[in-house]
Amino acid sequence: MADQAIPGEHIVAPASSEDDVLRVEHIAKSFGPVTALRDVSLHLKKGEVLGLLGDNGAGKSTLIKILCGFQKQGSGKMWLKGEPYEPKSVENARALGIDVVYQDLALIDDLSVYENMFLCREERRGGLPFLDKRRMKKETRKALDDIGINLPRLEVPVARLSGGQRQSIAVARGVYSQADILLLDEPLAAMGAKEGAMILDLIARLKAEGKLSIIMILHNYVHVLESCDRVNMITDGVIALDKPTADTSVEELTEIVVDEYRRARAAAQAEEAAMRGVSVAEPGV
Amino acid sequence: MSSIIDSGTPAGAPTGGPAHKRGVPRSAAIPLGLAKRFLTAREGSIIVVTVLLTVYFIATLSSSFTGTANIQALFPYFAPYAILAVGEVFLMINGEIDLSIGGVYLFAPYLYYELANGHVPLLLAVLITFVACTAIGLVNGLITMVVGISSFITTLGTLFTLEGFTLIISHAEQVTAPGSQLAVSATSNSLSSFASVFGAGTYSELIWAVVIVAIMHVVLTQTSWGSHTIAVGSNKLGAAEAGVRVRWVVIRNFMVCSTFAGIVGILEAIRTSSITPDPSGAGVLTLSAIACAVIGGTLLIGGAGTVIGALIGALFLGILQDGLAIKGVNADYLDFYLGLAILLAMAINTYVGRVRKGSGLG
Repeated sequence: MADQAIPGEHIVAPASSEDDVLRVEHIAKSFGPVTALRDVSLHLKKGEVLGLLGDNGAGKSTLIKILCGFQKQGSGKMWLKGEPYEPKSVENARALGIDVVYQDLALIDDLSVYENMFLCREERRGGLPFLDKRRMKKETRKALDDIGINLPRLEVPVARLSGGQRQSIAVARGVYSQADILLLDEPLAAMGAKEGAMILDLIARLKAEGKLSIIMILHNYVHVLESCDRVNMITDGVIALDKPTADTSVEELTEIVVDEYRRARAAAQAEEAAMRGVSVAEPGV
Repeated sequence: MSSIIDSGTPAGAPTGGPAHKRGVPRSAAIPLGLAKRFLTAREGSIIVVTVLLTVYFIATLSSSFTGTANIQALFPYFAPYAILAVGEVFLMINGEIDLSIGGVYLFAPYLYYELANGHVPLLLAVLITFVACTAIGLVNGLITMVVGISSFITTLGTLFTLEGFTLIISHAEQVTAPGSQLAVSATSNSLSSFASVFGAGTYSELIWAVVIVAIMHVVLTQTSWGSHTIAVGSNKLGAAEAGVRVRWVVIRNFMVCSTFAGIVGILEAIRTSSITPDPSGAGVLTLSAIACAVIGGTLLIGGAGTVIGALIGALFLGILQDGLAIKGVNADYLDFYLGLAILLAMAINTYVGRVRKGSGLG
């Protein structure tokens, strides 16, 4: 059924341009019988903020997890700054300059704020295996101050923080990781309006600096149009739209989604009708 | 005391420390901070209980309890448990458990005995035995993390396998520990340095325990090995997403736990100068070590634990056994009191944990 219902036209990313930092072509990924990504191609320019939209289950998070080295794609190729990009692990991707803020935040409840900030990138004292806690606290304080997040105590386990505070720690961890490509999976999901605005301000500042290129999954179209240069929409495991945010509008993006719902409902009804046809035929069998 | 509590606090646990940094007058902040810190530290309750128990025995037994001879007699009652419990602590923080330490404890001295009988130099035989125990931990870890069997089942399997294997190779016969004969030689009062290092010296087991506790305490609180161990136990998926090598973290802790069980096996064999194939004793040893870790404040569900707590838990167990023995209490009462102590310590720990979370101490 899914094979027949390709929504919109299948847009392949344009051929590599000089300023592409990341390019992926024909990425597919299945989990057993479930196809998460059918055929995704996209590209990211240096200093660009790319917004990724799509329905729940469209494959956005899977794409992010492939890009950051946590999962391996079923097929397809990736290039990082013109070189073939085949991350072996999250650490490997991080070493190559790609860092990520997961939707589930990947925070450790029983570890403190600063230990979470430096998880897997711990500062050590000289060449010794001992953690340089003072330096990690200092850097954490600096990073949080920079975003405008006020946490009085960095030694408390993150279990005791609010959803918004936790999310800002996860975002701060990604932003201050020396990465040059940052992947953000719904960075505003658990945040109130005020904290969300802080994060969007931070992203605007990073964009102005121009060093960091960002792919960001968002749900709010207004946020996308406000903070992204370009938007890609994933529906049904393929990219259905690729436009600069200047050339699109909340109405157009909404129309695509509404369209998809109509198509999905029509497909479901057709399926149901077919099933009924079968069940009517059954007694005769 | 306060410095022990402070450094023993698991990463990220609340402390009253920085209160004075926020302009609270020092004189008021520090005593309050210390008291709170002490009472809400994971080890707090077991320290209080252990001190009360010690005071009780001193008051009722006086010199027979505090005498040098008795204090020395106390060491074997707690040092082996402390070493075993420290290994368990790391696995329990991971959310795993190792039931096979009793099997390793039983097997290690027989391997050592066979090697020594095969004319391998004693020191080398000990080292080979330790490496073999590390390898058993590796097998436990691989089966648990790569094959994907729960560690309870994996180590139950290796426990019986090792016990059975030990009975087969030993023909269920007690033997004399090689190298320990020198220790009990009637003609000379001095121990060989080998025997005095590996268990027979008065302070040997104590020193092993203290050194192992100190090293593993630093590993848990001051290195990424420790914080990754907590991370894996607290949020396995999150840790993996952040880049923690989850499998390796757990496998490494299995290897350490097994090695410690091997060390205790050798120390006890040379201390008592005999090697006995007694699976039931080994089983009790395993559960006692886990009890020490638990009453010391380490959670069975993972995410938090303390090495110092395990040491105090073992000390509590030792003092209880020793004190009751001197009082002439029937040995049957020992398990009864130990059981009550576990329940009491756990109830206090849970209550303190609730206070810690609810009082906004952090």
